[in-house]
Amino acid sequence: MLRNILFYIKEAFLSAKKNMVVSLATIISLTAALIIVGIFLIISFNIDNFIADIESQLIAVAYLKDNLSEEVIKKLVQETSELPGVKEVHYISKEDALQKLKEDLKEHEEILAGIPGNPLPSSLEVTVTDTKYLAEIALQLGQYSEIEEVNYGGELTKNLILVFDFVRKTGLAIILVLLFIAILIMFSVIKISVHSRQQEIEIMALVGATSWFIRWPFIIEGFLKGLLSSLMAIFILGRAYLYYVEQAKMIIPFLPISLEQEFIIKIDIILVLLGIFIGVFGSMLSLRKISYEEL
Amino acid sequence: MIRMFHVFKTFPNKIHALWDINIHIKKGDFVFLVGPTGAGKTTFLKLIYRGILPTKGQVIVDGVNLSRLKPSLIPYLRREIGVVFQDFKLLYDRNVFENVAFSLRVVGAKNAIIKKEVNEILNIIGLSHKKNTNPHLLSGGEQQKLCIARAIVSHPLILLTDEPTGNLDPETSWEIMKLLFKINVWGTTVVVASHDKLMVDKAQKRVIRLEQGEVVSDTKKGIYSQ
Ligand SMILES: Nc1ncnc2c1ncn2[C@@H]1O[C@H](COP(=O)(O)OP(=O)(O)OP(=O)(O)O)[C@@H](O)[C@H]1O
Ligand SMILES: [Mg+2]
Repeated sequence: MLRNILFYIKEAFLSAKKNMVVSLATIISLTAALIIVGIFLIISFNIDNFIADIESQLIAVAYLKDNLSEEVIKKLVQETSELPGVKEVHYISKEDALQKLKEDLKEHEEILAGIPGNPLPSSLEVTVTDTKYLAEIALQLGQYSEIEEVNYGGELTKNLILVFDFVRKTGLAIILVLLFIAILIMFSVIKISVHSRQQEIEIMALVGATSWFIRWPFIIEGFLKGLLSSLMAIFILGRAYLYYVEQAKMIIPFLPISLEQEFIIKIDIILVLLGIFIGVFGSMLSLRKISYEEL
Repeated sequence: MIRMFHVFKTFPNKIHALWDINIHIKKGDFVFLVGPTGAGKTTFLKLIYRGILPTKGQVIVDGVNLSRLKPSLIPYLRREIGVVFQDFKLLYDRNVFENVAFSLRVVGAKNAIIKKEVNEILNIIGLSHKKNTNPHLLSGGEQQKLCIARAIVSHPLILLTDEPTGNLDPETSWEIMKLLFKINVWGTTVVVASHDKLMVDKAQKRVIRLEQGEVVSDTKKGIYSQ
């Protein structure tokens, strides 16, 4: 087995060397494609983060009338949680609300000193599974007689999310197109490689090599080219990303851009897997059938 | 070892390369296949190693009906058949040793075994001193020998050679013929397609004569033509 693997790798290098220029061209174009995919991944991941951040803050708040009995409140919570699109309903009592306000005000509690009793209403904080339900839920909540008033995240945030969503989807479409092109490149390059080694392939078939034995060197060639391209793409992207994020953060310090290790590793893994997939899949495509027939 | 029953081969361009061939070549036989150019000799050999399938009829090699042989099993048939091609089919991007070793690498033989077997064969063939040479630096006769070395290094049951003495001087040709006799004596069934009247007559072996795709004669200890 090991013997065979060594043979495959040797043949793969022989093949790559034989088509030096084509090999280089493939690696460069594959690297370029992966860099673009990487850029879109970075943008898309950051948007995801950002949207998740905003969305978690988008809730509908229903202020309740005073003096509702515990049963009524319980029933209200029960009913509202069953509305379509509702993820969770959280009851905030008057006391909770006051406590929270005090915390928010911190060192300025004297503001509250002059106010008698507890002027804050109790409320229901409704989180949603998707922001698109917000308006509809707010409308329905407003129809309860026990509810005084409903507030929910503004139109602006909603529009912002729509724009980001659009960017993300476009990014995904571009990634898919790039992927397709990259596979096509790999396919034709391995085809050239197969063609230039037609004689070896023919002789292998004639002296009794199985079709998989013939395929492996080419698959390894595709694998190595894909791996190398992805490593180059990661290196270039990593450098550029760090540089630009630093620049950007200097201008806008609170920019919601992730620099977490976890995030970078995730992108790296995706790019490596993608590179290898393109390389191997492209090779497989151009070697679907090994011919044992002579003409 | 090799049987053909009513074998016809018609190429897509409507050329009838072989016409109703019935032949039996026994294990250990040495057979010449002669006939003018275009008679169908190469086609005959291709049928045996399943390079092509007959249009009609049955080809049976070592008990296997090739028309029913699954494509995935073709490699295993070919490991039992050494072929010396009319156009050599050598690999010019590697040296003599590696060309011979190729047949063994392809079946996943151990390095130590490859080394031993290849060196042994190169000794027999008389190419030991050139094992690091690139084949395109070899003479025609040496390339021919190299092809034979590659064909027999895996000890096949059958050796098919297509014009092994084409374009060679009579002395070298006879040297190669003697090599083939030797291989035959070791137990390999040998089929030699040849134009070489001189060699065929000198060899005194079975001769099958093809003309326009048909067997016109099949004689023991035959000569090239009557
Ligand atoms: N792949 C092919 N397609 C079409 N016709 C073919 C093909 N291969 C061979 N032929 C034809 O079949 C006939 C027999 O060819 P073959 O190569 O078997 O002859 P041969 O006896 O080996 O000749 P030579 O002595 O010149 O090598 C010829 O007329 C040839 O043109
Ligand atoms: Mg011929």
